[in-house]
Amino acid sequence: MRAVQGVDLDVFPGEIHALCGENGAGKTTLASIAAGKLKASGGTVIARGVVGLVHQHFELVDRLRVWENVVLGHEPQRGATLDREAARERVNRLSKEYGLAVDPDAVIETLPVGIAQRVELLRELARDPAVLILDEPTAVLAPVEIDALFATVRALAARGTAVLIITHKLQEVVSHTSRITVMRAGKVVARLATADTNVDAIARAMVGGELPELAARRETIPAPVFSMHEISAGESSLAVRSAALEVRGGEIVGIAGVEGNGQSALADAIAGVLPYTGSMELDGTPIPPGNPGARIAQGIRAIPQDRRREALVLPWSVIDNITLGDQRRPSLRKGGTLDRPAARELARTIVERFDVRTPSLNASVSALSGGNQQKVVVGRALAHNPRLLLAYQPTRGIDVGAAALVQSRLIEARNAGVAVLLISFELDEVLALSDRVIVMYRGAIVGTFERDAIDRARIGALMAGAGLAGVAS
Amino acid sequence: MIRALGVALALAAIAALAMIVAGANPIVGFFALFRGALGGPNQIAETLVQTTSLLFPSLAVAFAFRAGLFNIGAEGQLIIGGLVAGLIGARLNVPGALAIPVILVAGAFGGALWGSTAGVLRARFGGNEVIATLMLNIVAALLANYLVVGPLHSPGATGAETAQLPESSWLPTLLADTRLTIALPIAILLAFALRFVFDRTIFGYELRAAGDAPEAARRAGINLARTAFVAMALSGAMAGLGGATIVTGVLHRFNVALSPGYGFIAIAVALVGDLDPLRIIVAAFAFGILQSGSLTMQAYAHVPKDVVTFVEGLAIVALAARRFVAERAKTSPA
Amino acid sequence: MSGPLVDFVELTLVKAAPLIYAALAGVLCERAGILNIALEGQLTVGAFTGVAVAFLTGSPLLGLVAGIAAGALAGALLGIAATRFGVDQIVAGTGLNLLALGGCAFGLTVVFGQPGASSEVHSLGGRGEWILIALAFLAAIVLHFALYRTAWGLRVRACGENPKAVRSAGIDPRNVRLIATMIAGGLAGLGGVYLSLGELDLYSDGMTAGRGFIALAAVIFGRWTPFGAMGAAIGFGALAALQFTLQRSGIPSELMQALPYLAALAALTGIAGRARAPQSDGVPYTE
Repeated sequence: MRAVQGVDLDVFPGEIHALCGENGAGKTTLASIAAGKLKASGGTVIARGVVGLVHQHFELVDRLRVWENVVLGHEPQRGATLDREAARERVNRLSKEYGLAVDPDAVIETLPVGIAQRVELLRELARDPAVLILDEPTAVLAPVEIDALFATVRALAARGTAVLIITHKLQEVVSHTSRITVMRAGKVVARLATADTNVDAIARAMVGGELPELAARRETIPAPVFSMHEISAGESSLAVRSAALEVRGGEIVGIAGVEGNGQSALADAIAGVLPYTGSMELDGTPIPPGNPGARIAQGIRAIPQDRRREALVLPWSVIDNITLGDQRRPSLRKGGTLDRPAARELARTIVERFDVRTPSLNASVSALSGGNQQKVVVGRALAHNPRLLLAYQPTRGIDVGAAALVQSRLIEARNAGVAVLLISFELDEVLALSDRVIVMYRGAIVGTFERDAIDRARIGALMAGAGLAGVAS
Repeated sequence: MIRALGVALALAAIAALAMIVAGANPIVGFFALFRGALGGPNQIAETLVQTTSLLFPSLAVAFAFRAGLFNIGAEGQLIIGGLVAGLIGARLNVPGALAIPVILVAGAFGGALWGSTAGVLRARFGGNEVIATLMLNIVAALLANYLVVGPLHSPGATGAETAQLPESSWLPTLLADTRLTIALPIAILLAFALRFVFDRTIFGYELRAAGDAPEAARRAGINLARTAFVAMALSGAMAGLGGATIVTGVLHRFNVALSPGYGFIAIAVALVGDLDPLRIIVAAFAFGILQSGSLTMQAYAHVPKDVVTFVEGLAIVALAARRFVAERAKTSPA
Repeated sequence: MSGPLVDFVELTLVKAAPLIYAALAGVLCERAGILNIALEGQLTVGAFTGVAVAFLTGSPLLGLVAGIAAGALAGALLGIAATRFGVDQIVAGTGLNLLALGGCAFGLTVVFGQPGASSEVHSLGGRGEWILIALAFLAAIVLHFALYRTAWGLRVRACGENPKAVRSAGIDPRNVRLIATMIAGGLAGLGGVYLSLGELDLYSDGMTAGRGFIALAAVIFGRWTPFGAMGAAIGFGALAALQFTLQRSGIPSELMQALPYLAALAALTGIAGRARAPQSDGVPYTE
């Protein structure tokens, strides 16, 4: 199977062109081919100059300085040596020219993600690209930073650069681009002029039909399950600071925030894999710190943010992955040995209930699509009547069908009385699923909104730090 | 399988070339090699002795590998196991039925101590176990030399070795007038036991999880530090047990030169056996042939025996490519 | 000028020189992202080839050149295995050590017709030895300059941290790493030549005596910098010199020999402070 097949795409000087599609549609592969980082098995790429590519996951050297990253590969020389002054000068000049302020001598790992993205952008701009491709550039930015980025992009286009933006945020597509190419399963399925279309039409083109419906929310009577007080954990800019929150059974509490504002530390502290100060309680009993196994046994289950690394053992079978975390559960063991038949039975149930498309129960999970892998993870987390389910970006990188299934299962778990804590960087997802929305900014909880009092604009402002101005809600 | 055969043929071709360089006829060389290894009951017995000596450290290496740890230190653990066995064995004055288990357990314990030193460095301080085991190999050799020549020198012993063990402490032989002892069935039993541990037990499951996906294992409640410590200690124990069987079964004394690099060749054996304990038995036999045949090859075909070490080194490089490329293909992003 | 102190300093320098070469080789490799545990093998190959070529041609200078070239070739083997075939660097390094050991022992029998040790050959002599010692220090300065002041050095350091970033800057990190392993192999080969043609005038099996591993310890102690590694190598050289000085003092020589390794083990506990290894040190990069 080919990731991309028979695709034609033109991007003109001065235009901002959007490339849309579901996860796995082949957008990133196409971008890599266009930028010359990947060889296509057939076809041609014609560019009137350099093609620059700003990666979704920045490709910067964390421990080097800004100027070192920017000039890498195109170093100014003075005799046999590297001309540091010229390098700094180059960074300053580009900074000024494009309005991307950054200290040339800063070490990348000390910079917030928004600034690190500027460095990546500067590095590409230093090569004076005729075409600039941005792969999911707004995934890690707050709404205000997103506006600034698009201002830069528009300025670039105005100078005649051809800009191709890969994104799944359709609102941005509609607001900032002039033409749209939609891909599905490696092929172009629609070419649209932005002026003649809307978010729904683009989404339908991406999915190839109507969007799947979510499970219905039922009335629940929330009862106390999980609470935490004065939780601090993690380091520097990624830390969570004296956070308190409560998640009741039968409700979904959603945490809204831009990536990198302490969500990861919060989740890891709750999962017991990161040391913290403060206290946590489950069903009125204190949870002892630092033992992920004990938490699993108590019914605290997690859908980790990086399923390939933190949730699954990729080379292992579906069965062996489904028992991971529960390998010591009495129903899955016989003394010191594994109870294989019981594990197989459990796997069969989960595969059926979660519609996991796998060649067999013994197939390696690495052979499954991202969506099906995630179904395994979610199914496992819900298999043993959890009390608290911690879902971190549960639909990241999976197709719309699988995402709807995962979201529906979260709602059903909530309907059945599970306490669900949802952490997502997709504000739409948080707003759609949550009974209560909590906003995190720089490791602190800066706002709380009940479902019937959600104020989207206010939440967006808080996510960008408006709460710090002293106007907390 | 076909690729493994291809690698084997390529290595054989290189060995043949080396023989030609050495002025020998490769056909005569290979013939001598196989005659030396398999030419009669005594030769086969000696090949099985080499197989046994390789099997223990190979299982040790594979065990640690499966837990995600590079135990480059099987050589040092084997030496310490042999040292402890030799020092205790030469001084122990109890009946054989008691002495043999005591010596073997002591040897395993010595190896475990050596392995767990690296385990502690890794588990407690996050120190790189590769560097640690490399350093401990050399410290083991120096320690053995110091003790055997120095303070624990046995009266009557010549050179860097202990006195001979009393005959009652020798491992029973399987074949009269050979050095083939019950160490071979013990090693094979160990391989089967390991296979059971990996496939069937919760301990083995957790060990493999820690090796194959440490971060997922940690979040599944598996204590990585403890796993690393236990894996290194048990790995060391297997290598140490191997050293003890060489002392009680083959040399009947500890000698600082008791290992021609079994602990390093073990890495090749473990890789050829794809880290599967049962296939490692077969691989150890193949390398046992090389080890035991090389002396005959040197004597009769005038091919320096070191060509075997050379080929073993090549085998490690070639087979590592095969295994790890396959591994990455399985786990690389779709 | 002589006296016990001068003798001690002299001996320290004599013992430190090969360690400096090997440690610099280690620094260069690790800064490029290759954990080179085959330094021992590269020293061995350099030492043997130097003597063999000096024997065959009668010229120790040709031996020197050949030793460096052989070391570079051995380094290239690691580099090619690691960058083109995705071989695990640690496993490959172990294999290459065995390969060097077996190959040189084999070569010894073929060239000199005797196992164990070569016959004596024309060495580089006392002056040659001291030139090589001075060159070791010079090499540290050059490597420092190259790593921190040149475009090449920037690329090497970037490769050790994040080869993907190097790739996206339009440079093939595999080539950068391969060249680094070759230069490092040449340095280690030079260290080997120093042992066999500088300090001595023959090759014997096992003459490198674990110096390649001490060098790895020096890299950690020296926090992956050329000057740091050089300092650590001098320290280990002083330990070796002390061993001769204290020969009759009753302190076991094995303990003195073990000290660098014990020190390295101690360093792994972090007592020397937690310097960070390059982020992608030992992490394969293939395409």
